[in-house]
Amino acid sequence: MAFIDARTLPDASRIEADLIIVGGGMAGITLATELAGGPIKIAILEAGGREIDMENQALYVGSGVMRGPDNADRPFNDYPVQSRIRALGGSAHVWGGKCAPLDPADFTQRDWAPYSGWPMSRQQLQPFYDRACDLLGIPHFGPDTPVLQDPARRPLDLDPRDGFFPAPRYFSKISGGADKAAFDAFRTDFAEAPNITVYLYANVTQVRLDARNDKVEGLDLACLSGKRHTAKAKTYVLATGGIENVRLMLASNKVRPEGVGNHHDLVGRFFQGHVTYAMDGDAETEGSAINVARAESMALYVPPGRAQPHCVIGSSLSGQTRMKTGNFTLTLYNGGEPGSGTPTQAETRVIRQTATRVDGGKDEGQLLGCFAMTEQFPNPESRITLDMADVDPLGMPRIKLDWVYSRADWDSFERTAAAVGDALGASGQGRLCWPVERKDYVAICNASRHHMGTTRMHADPRQGVVDADCRVHDIANLYVAGSSVFPTSGIANPTLTLLALAIRLADHLKLEMGAAR
Amino acid sequence: MTPPVHQGLARRDLLTTLLALTAGAALPTLVRAAEPAGAFADLDRDAVERIGKAWLEQNPGTSAKTLAMWLFPSGQTAGTLADLRRRATEDFRKGAVFIHRGWRLSQTEGALFGLLALGSQGGR
Repeated sequence: MAFIDARTLPDASRIEADLIIVGGGMAGITLATELAGGPIKIAILEAGGREIDMENQALYVGSGVMRGPDNADRPFNDYPVQSRIRALGGSAHVWGGKCAPLDPADFTQRDWAPYSGWPMSRQQLQPFYDRACDLLGIPHFGPDTPVLQDPARRPLDLDPRDGFFPAPRYFSKISGGADKAAFDAFRTDFAEAPNITVYLYANVTQVRLDARNDKVEGLDLACLSGKRHTAKAKTYVLATGGIENVRLMLASNKVRPEGVGNHHDLVGRFFQGHVTYAMDGDAETEGSAINVARAESMALYVPPGRAQPHCVIGSSLSGQTRMKTGNFTLTLYNGGEPGSGTPTQAETRVIRQTATRVDGGKDEGQLLGCFAMTEQFPNPESRITLDMADVDPLGMPRIKLDWVYSRADWDSFERTAAAVGDALGASGQGRLCWPVERKDYVAICNASRHHMGTTRMHADPRQGVVDADCRVHDIANLYVAGSSVFPTSGIANPTLTLLALAIRLADHLKLEMGAAR
Repeated sequence: MTPPVHQGLARRDLLTTLLALTAGAALPTLVRAAEPAGAFADLDRDAVERIGKAWLEQNPGTSAKTLAMWLFPSGQTAGTLADLRRRATEDFRKGAVFIHRGWRLSQTEGALFGLLALGSQGGR
């Protein structure tokens, strides 16, 4: 198995390949897996080792803040180091395995969503989604509105005209958080191919451009042991994640002071993340919840076991169009059952009883906890920059994340939350309790480890860092893989989509590098 | 929703309205007659009153008679709950909602709480 510890190489070694993939996370591994056994000689440069170690992980330390109108700023200094993993397999070490494609709506250009629209449709990405599902060992999602077919688990009877539908979520076992053996096989088996070598502890510190500034001529590598190496290939792919891709491109400023691929000051901008919003209730305050009138099981939404296929309540394109909102989901879970004895609990019970009876149900229905996710619209002020005065032990400037929500985000969120409550009520399915106030959004949200948009894809170099093939505009032999190329972020966990894009990129490179069979 | 406001409800009107909610059940005393009845007879009276008061504060000057006429224009029948259901649907479709501590209810439900609260107060 071709794994080489870069620290064991003689100092100033030169690594050569046809294709160099910087980063051995899910995007890089998928790309290599697709090209395994072919004629393209591949080197993967992974900054970490096989397992998580804190010395390497500390290279991710940075700073951050989350901001939004009408909210107090929230320090997010732990986020850069806690939301990603610097090791072979990347953040999939701590991934829960949840998979969903972006919705067709996410790919569309929506007049009410500035900077929206992908240079491809969901339909065009569908074959790559299917292949990504195969790779992850999960069922395919349908191309339009995917449906989780399970006659034993009936969805809520919401009127589609209200703009909501049951959106399925599947789970892959290929994640460190699900099945370690399957995950280990996924992140190492591909390297058995004779055309692949994986270098561990190989930190890329500089992408060097040639004299004409339109081609990468090599990479500088550094090890914490002090050794320095170089790497050279015909073609390069950056696959280090939505934050680190930016760090490397901006820090590669020896030829172009603005960094690589940053001619239009776009690298690092449009940072989008996913957060969940929920409120825990107690004896005195309501929690975020829905009360459903029906006595029938809600197992389609709240499966009996963790990591089982289930649905969330999703917002459709027709609903988003009507409401002028972004994507939105409401995820249900068991919990929220109030005790009794306080006035608040008594009022909750009365409300549940009344609504259930009006809806034609019995007793007080079923109370389920819920959390909401809402799409963050692309925003150039939400961005990653470098703190040139604060460098890590390898001399790389640390990142500063300024995660900024807009008033449009809040407005969209509130309109959709109200609409899902109205849809539940109008269809006689239940009632929503959403006690969250705007001033608290930043304070109460829980951030996912999803970093998107910072090297966004667009056909126009003035509007995107990479083109529709994920090639950096104006640089002939440099590509980017991973969720940093997403122009919009939708709601779905990004892993399945970034795998689909990596597979699509692999097909492109086969043609580009003359390796198509 | 803002129901038409009429002041000066006679207590007997309120009792008549609430009696009708019992769908024909015999009520032995006047006090019991003033209590929420029928489909909502078992609701916690104090909680109902607090929720109803909250709705009434948002709809000041609303009388029980007005509410009763608005909620039950045809009087009480076997189809009363179905009528409430239909009205709640209409409310939600047009965004006519009453929000109480985060619970998003139809104005019809809010008005029902208002009526029940007035009845509860009247019965004490």
